[in-house]
Amino acid sequence: MPRSLISGSRTRLLAIICVSIMVVFVVRLFYLQVIDHNRYVSLANQEQLKRLVIPAARGEIYAMDGTTPVKMVLNETVYTVFVDPKVVTKPNEIIETIKSVAGGNARDNLKELINQKDKRYEIVATKVTRKQAELMKKKKLKGLGFQATSQRVYPEAQLAAQTLGFVNAESKGQYGVEGYLNDRLTGKDGLLQSVTDVSNVPLTIGRHNINQPAKNGDSIVLTIDRNIQSYTEKALADGLARTHATNGSAIVMDPQTGRILAMANLPTYQPAEFTKVTDAEAFNNGVVTRPYEAGSVFKTFTVTTGLDTGVIQPNSTYVNTDSIKVDDRTIVNAARGHTGTITIQDALNYSLNTGMVTIAQRLGDGTQITKGARDTIYRYYHDKFGLGELTGVEVSGESAGRVISPDEDGGNAVQYATMVFGQGLDVTMVQVAAGFSAMVNGGTYYSPTVIGGVMDNGSLKPAPVKPARAGIITKDTSTKLRQMTHEARQLFPSGDRPGYYIGGKTGTSQTLDASGNYRFDQTIGTYLGYGGSEDTTKYVIMVQVSGKDMNLEGNIHAKPIFTDISNWMLDYMKLQPKG
Amino acid sequence: MRQAPYKHENKHEIMSYQRTPTYTRHQGNWNRNQNTVAFASAVKLGPVTHTVLVALMITVLGLIYLTQATRATGYDYEAQKIDSKIAELSSQKTDLEVENARLTALETVRNSTVAREMTSPSSTDYVRE
Repeated sequence: MPRSLISGSRTRLLAIICVSIMVVFVVRLFYLQVIDHNRYVSLANQEQLKRLVIPAARGEIYAMDGTTPVKMVLNETVYTVFVDPKVVTKPNEIIETIKSVAGGNARDNLKELINQKDKRYEIVATKVTRKQAELMKKKKLKGLGFQATSQRVYPEAQLAAQTLGFVNAESKGQYGVEGYLNDRLTGKDGLLQSVTDVSNVPLTIGRHNINQPAKNGDSIVLTIDRNIQSYTEKALADGLARTHATNGSAIVMDPQTGRILAMANLPTYQPAEFTKVTDAEAFNNGVVTRPYEAGSVFKTFTVTTGLDTGVIQPNSTYVNTDSIKVDDRTIVNAARGHTGTITIQDALNYSLNTGMVTIAQRLGDGTQITKGARDTIYRYYHDKFGLGELTGVEVSGESAGRVISPDEDGGNAVQYATMVFGQGLDVTMVQVAAGFSAMVNGGTYYSPTVIGGVMDNGSLKPAPVKPARAGIITKDTSTKLRQMTHEARQLFPSGDRPGYYIGGKTGTSQTLDASGNYRFDQTIGTYLGYGGSEDTTKYVIMVQVSGKDMNLEGNIHAKPIFTDISNWMLDYMKLQPKG
Repeated sequence: MRQAPYKHENKHEIMSYQRTPTYTRHQGNWNRNQNTVAFASAVKLGPVTHTVLVALMITVLGLIYLTQATRATGYDYEAQKIDSKIAELSSQKTDLEVENARLTALETVRNSTVAREMTSPSSTDYVRE
């Protein structure tokens, strides 16, 4: 009998049903696997393929401790503790645990938060340390969760606060080095794309896995020496306490390299508690952000210009009548009585404005501050000493200040007659300190910097040297300026320790009121000086004190602070006295 | 000394002659010295057995595949455990560094018992070279 199904038999019917079912399966599978392939792959990827951001660690900030880098700003992992009130089963136990472990970091209204059963996420404690979080995790309390975040830690508290800056809630650097070098410190987040299991464990299966490691931010080493910084802040605070001044700033520089060793500003703040600051001015590093009329300390720049151009010598004389006429204005001395034929050294010693105007006139035709004289002064102040322009110091918010050019409206003889003794121009302390450093180091201008290098695998990799402008004044001019400022300082009781070569110049500058007129009842006291041996200048220090409605003078209020720091620096730098 | 029955270089051929109880000669082309022996097995396998064997082979192959795939995933879990351990140790290291920085901070050192008991030198002499 032939093996064929008899038409209409039950077996044949069963065969037809089976084949039909098979056809349905095949068609459905074809639809799912071929026609709708992309959709289902996409759905599967959504479910299984996870894109995880690998956060880059923010770079740390180091300062120097002598020759050793020490950490000033670090990262610490802390936890935000939250509850899911809907799944909490033991609310009392959770409250007890959080209170006993997290302490002051726990929220006050824990019971109220946990009992909100319509909520799924309530923060119950913040900034919990890893150890505290582990203690809580051990209790295995249902509904309690932990979210790790990174926060900045400042072991030195408020030391160099305005130079460091802080990191805000959006993890962005603000002010100081944190703000200026935010991109370098931030680094670049990595990416991990992978198939994961239900516990989010990445698996190597899958064709679309990406593992791009994070690039951590650079760890920056500052030129700031924490010991010098600490003492400078202390000396400044003591000085303000003595004088009752409310504001003060100080900078200590290495004149041979342009490296800034300390920058202090008062009032200050704690970077870790930046949210508690009520006056945002406390965030600014006044040394670089606040331009002002520097007053008589500026006479050192005018004397240097005169010496370098050869129009004066320290013992050059002029007739001082305590006043001098420039166009239709009369310039007078603040210190009266040193009249008659006196030297430029005398003019510097007693801070006589007439002496500086005389130098400006000699740069012209001898009687007028001509355009040529003004051009020369501008060339020295602006082009050579970098006044009135950004220095490029790596601190956020640097101000350029302003030195009016002779080609601008207002750049006339009267303007320049006031500029030569420190009025009518705005400069920052860092500009003045950097320019003065060039005057006392033999004539090389170094751009001021706070960056000493980066930490690379635990060792310091020095930063490339910033370009310097050598020979902006002659060595002879530099030597004479050092001698003149040394004499100017030693003429009055200085408090210097014997055997060292210290020089400097006082400055007392009036401030402007809202209408642009000078106030006589509010002055800023400044002192600018250097220290070291007769052969080499080791440090430059500039101090400024001010206060609302206060008459503060360079000689009385700022100079003692300079002396305090200077004497300490001699010990710290282990400088040996002569003789 | 015994003589070999045939002079063959191939050892297997010798053995096959010795083990062959019966043989059938293929009809058709054959040449001299050519092995034309086919063996008939005493065990006969039916279609069901064949099907079961094929199914078993497929199952074994499937199990081998699954074992390999699971092994790869197992390594992932191992790697994850190691990564977690590294992260934990790294976190502990960071905590210790923070603690170290706090303990060696100037303010801490200044307020230490040792520092408090220090006195300033009454005079300083310098070594002359």
